Amino acid sequence: MNTSLNPSLRLYEPLWRIRLRNTWKSLQDNWVLFAENKIGLVGLAIILFYALLAALHPILIATVWDEKIYDPFIGNDPRIYNHPSPPSQDHLLGTDPMGRDILSQLMYSTRNEFVLGFLAAAITVTIATSIGAMAAYFGKWVDTIFMRIADLMNILPFIALLVVLSAFVRMNMWTLALVIGVLSGFGGATIIFKAQALTIMVKPYIEAARIAGGSHWHIIFYHIVPNLMPLAFLNMMFTVTGAIFTEAALSFFGLLNIRVSWGIMIYTTQAAGYMLRSIEYWYLIFPAGLSITLLCTAFYLIGRAMDSVVNPRLRRR
Amino acid sequence: MNNTLLALKDLTVEYKTRKGYVSAIDGVSFDLQYGESMGLVGESGCGKTSIAMSLLRLMPENAIVRRGEILLDGQNILQMDERQVREMRWARISMVFQAAMNALNPVYRVGDQITEAMHQHRGDLPPLQARARVEELFQLVGIDAKMIDRYPHEFSGGMRQRAVIAMALACSPSLIIADEPTTALDVIVQDQVLRELRRIQAQLNMSMIYISHDIAVIAEVAKKIGVMYAGRMVELAASGDIFHTPRHPYTAALMSAFPSIKGPKTRLVALPGEPPDLLYPPQGCRFHPRCSRASEICQKQTPPFETIQPNHWVACWNPLEARA
Amino acid sequence: MNTPDSPLIKVENLSLYFPVGSSFFQRSKSHIHAVDEISFSIPLGRSLALVGESGCGKTSTGKLLTRLVDPTGGHIYLRGKDGSLADLAALKGDELKRFRRRVQMIFQDPYESLNPRLTIFDTVAEPLLVQGLGSLGEREEMVARLLEQVGLTPASSFLFRFPHELSGGQRQRVAIARALVVRPDFVVADEPTSMLDVSIRTGVMNLMMELADQLGLSYLYITHDLAVARYTSHELAVMYMGKIVEHGETEEVLANPLHPYTQALISAVPAPDPAYQRPAPAIRGGISKPIDPAPRCRFYERCLRAAQTAGGDPVCRENDHPRLEDKGGGHFAACYKV
Ligand SMILES: Nc1ncnc2c1ncn2[C@@H]1O[C@H](COP(=O)(O)OP(=O)(O)OP(=O)(O)O)[C@@H](O)[C@H]1O
Ligand SMILES: Nc1ncnc2c1ncn2[C@@H]1O[C@H](COP(=O)(O)OP(=O)(O)O)[C@@H](O)[C@H]1O
Ligand code: SF4
Ligand code: SF4
Ligand SMILES: [Mg+2]
Ligand SMILES: [Mg+2]
Repeated sequence: MNTSLNPSLRLYEPLWRIRLRNTWKSLQDNWVLFAENKIGLVGLAIILFYALLAALHPILIATVWDEKIYDPFIGNDPRIYNHPSPPSQDHLLGTDPMGRDILSQLMYSTRNEFVLGFLAAAITVTIATSIGAMAAYFGKWVDTIFMRIADLMNILPFIALLVVLSAFVRMNMWTLALVIGVLSGFGGATIIFKAQALTIMVKPYIEAARIAGGSHWHIIFYHIVPNLMPLAFLNMMFTVTGAIFTEAALSFFGLLNIRVSWGIMIYTTQAAGYMLRSIEYWYLIFPAGLSITLLCTAFYLIGRAMDSVVNPRLRRR
Repeated sequence: MNNTLLALKDLTVEYKTRKGYVSAIDGVSFDLQYGESMGLVGESGCGKTSIAMSLLRLMPENAIVRRGEILLDGQNILQMDERQVREMRWARISMVFQAAMNALNPVYRVGDQITEAMHQHRGDLPPLQARARVEELFQLVGIDAKMIDRYPHEFSGGMRQRAVIAMALACSPSLIIADEPTTALDVIVQDQVLRELRRIQAQLNMSMIYISHDIAVIAEVAKKIGVMYAGRMVELAASGDIFHTPRHPYTAALMSAFPSIKGPKTRLVALPGEPPDLLYPPQGCRFHPRCSRASEICQKQTPPFETIQPNHWVACWNPLEARA
Repeated sequence: MNTPDSPLIKVENLSLYFPVGSSFFQRSKSHIHAVDEISFSIPLGRSLALVGESGCGKTSTGKLLTRLVDPTGGHIYLRGKDGSLADLAALKGDELKRFRRRVQMIFQDPYESLNPRLTIFDTVAEPLLVQGLGSLGEREEMVARLLEQVGLTPASSFLFRFPHELSGGQRQRVAIARALVVRPDFVVADEPTSMLDVSIRTGVMNLMMELADQLGLSYLYITHDLAVARYTSHELAVMYMGKIVEHGETEEVLANPLHPYTQALISAVPAPDPAYQRPAPAIRGGISKPIDPAPRCRFYERCLRAAQTAGGDPVCRENDHPRLEDKGGGHFAACYKV
């Protein structure tokens, strides 16, 4: 047996750098798989477009757009007498019944939509992975309790529940994200994650970890949860879609304490009585409506494309 | 008299993958006579199943036949049209698939599944006649005829495997290919299945290609053995010759790595290294990185698959001496 | 060193029953006797192979010895540093965690036994991490050294790869390294080579034997392959339906099997010699599940020896399962007719 210490045994590179490189490499590999699916790229392009819109808004306000005219809440163009006004040179998408620039509103709202979507999704996934993993790992009464809660959440109509809830508390973007996150985190998503966690639970490496002396928490958070991550990303995409849609629906009924969002833009149109009046007022509804549809679709497409990265069976060879 | 049932000539098949071409079968040639049983032995991934699938024209979509022909009674299987392939499959060549016993459909009676297979490949039989045929088949593979109307879960592993063999025999093929049919079975059950297979093969004078990674199992069922390594056939000879005078270094290495419960307990010699990734097969002889007899030519040129003595083929530049 | 009075591990009347057909509302009355009152001991530095057909209770025995499952009954004693025997079956909490350093396991399927999201370093270092052994630097060095010892050289080119980048044989070497990193003295190896190809299997088998010699390890080597057992163990125990039916020196058992089941098992092994006509094994019927087995020899239904007497041998028919008895020279068998 060779007892002299081989020089290669010392690592001259710090651990974090190796890990960073590994992560980078796996990102690259996954990107290749993702990019093979054209619908994912379409989704990504749409999202980038909207991200650009959101980022441009403060810049435009600071540079070319006069704040008095273009402010998304209180702006008004004194040069125009009749609002709403159709698209023109100054107002590319026209103005709303209260005289505010529609493009400015649209761009400003985009940021809110992103924040809402991602926050809700992050909360959902955090809750659902932890609970799914715990329910699968501990089984018995832990499982029973969480699964009954999930069933309950599934039975209750989601939107109706939010409608009732908003009668008691006026929700803003943040509280809405929290509520959606918690409701869907404890609901259907948990069941999906638990099912996945169960397939991980029976792998011998879990037994190996127990034999090594790993605690319950070690096993749950070192082994089970990381293996749920691909599914978590996938699920996030679909949750974002759901959250944006929910916000639009609640805003449309005027149940949210939000000053401006795509949903609110449609609500304003409706409240002012321009809804379905004539095709002439298309610019009041169309931009916001299309944006909701597009952004939701985009996240959905990304989810579908990710599915083929996460699910090797769907992959082309 | 021409007694050749099957002739493979220089068969070369690749699989197209995202990373490139997998060279799964490379220039494999052999003949099989009527009534002859042949064994194909080799490690997993060396191309055994690929050969079997090519014989049945069941290659996956990404398979590309680069060269070669497969002659069944002189007719090239690779050039048959759809109708001919359908007529050839099951009726002339049938197969017991790897892990086939798990492929029985759990919700149908076993007898019905066999009848269904017969219908598909032979057209409709009158029900009574079909039933009689299934009973005959059950008897042939040694299952009680009472089991015909039972479901797969009521069969033990060995019985399931026999039922699958019965299904393969349904249309009296002239060649049956058995791909690792006993790998998932316990030794005692394996012994029973092997005995049945041997008996049936002799009784029906059927040709058989028996695929396994276990040379001991092959030794028991096959009269001649083809040894595969990394997509190529490296040695082909009568079973006795393969066991007693292996000429290819890989065959010899396999023998000395194989543990046995009989005879003196000699130290097992491990082969260094691992079989190559067939995406990037080594130049020249594919065994050269692991071969103790490798010389310079081995790294550059593929050794031809040639007769070294009557009925003994080897692909090696420096074959072992025939022991006296 | 291998005097019979210094066993490393000693098992007494160990059982594991699983309820069958139980549900939330109804407690089951039937049980599978996966492991049924088995007793054996393994001397220091020696290895025992456990062989038998699928479902006979080999893995269950292994899981009992590693405390992955709690026994239904019986005792498992492990020899302490001072030579005293401590009952493992009662260990809890921190004691159990410390015990984990001494008993490790290697699993059958190298494709499933490594977490696909962890690097080789993380996998092998995991036992050190959870046991709180060594600093990060020390762990790195320990792992690297061990990887070289199990033949993954140079270690630096393996440390930060992922399991899917390794072949089956290499993965199994990683699994061996993980089991050995805490320097256990007893390792349960559950079919560690059955998924590997011949040309690689021998290498892994030889490695395991070398490591046992170097580190003074004992294995419980679980396998269904008698030939593998012959090359990996000093002693051999044959299991049938949860019972050990024969136990002795490996070569002795293989050369002179006493129990009719062992005899059948040995004669069913294909002979790597085309000229040899192997006689059919003397056995009938097939294996069934040990659900509430009748209180008689578990092998009775399949035993041709008992069937020689018309209507079945009365001794075998009337009596409970035979005890595992020394039939001379440390060769144990559980059969009335030996
Ligand atoms: N968790 C479980 N619940 C119920 N029955 C079980 C469980 N685990 C094992 N068994 C049963 O216990 C018996 C012994 O199983 P075990 O896994 O120990 O067999 P084994 O000898 O390792 O078999 P193999 O060679 O197939 O691995 C079998 O009848 C099996 O079906
Ligand atoms: N459909 C496929 N696509 C790509 N590669 C394949 C496919 N099927 C088999 N292979 C590869 O071809 C080689 C031979 O495979 P196979 O014939 O199944 O081997 P064996 O039956 O000897 O185990 C292996 O490297 C395997 O990974
Ligand atoms: S050709 Fe050369 S490398 Fe190949 S088996 Fe023969 S001696 Fe070895
Ligand atoms: S005790 Fe009787 S039934 Fe059991 S193995 Fe011995 S002879 Fe057979
Ligand atoms: Mg195969
Ligand atoms: Mg097992």
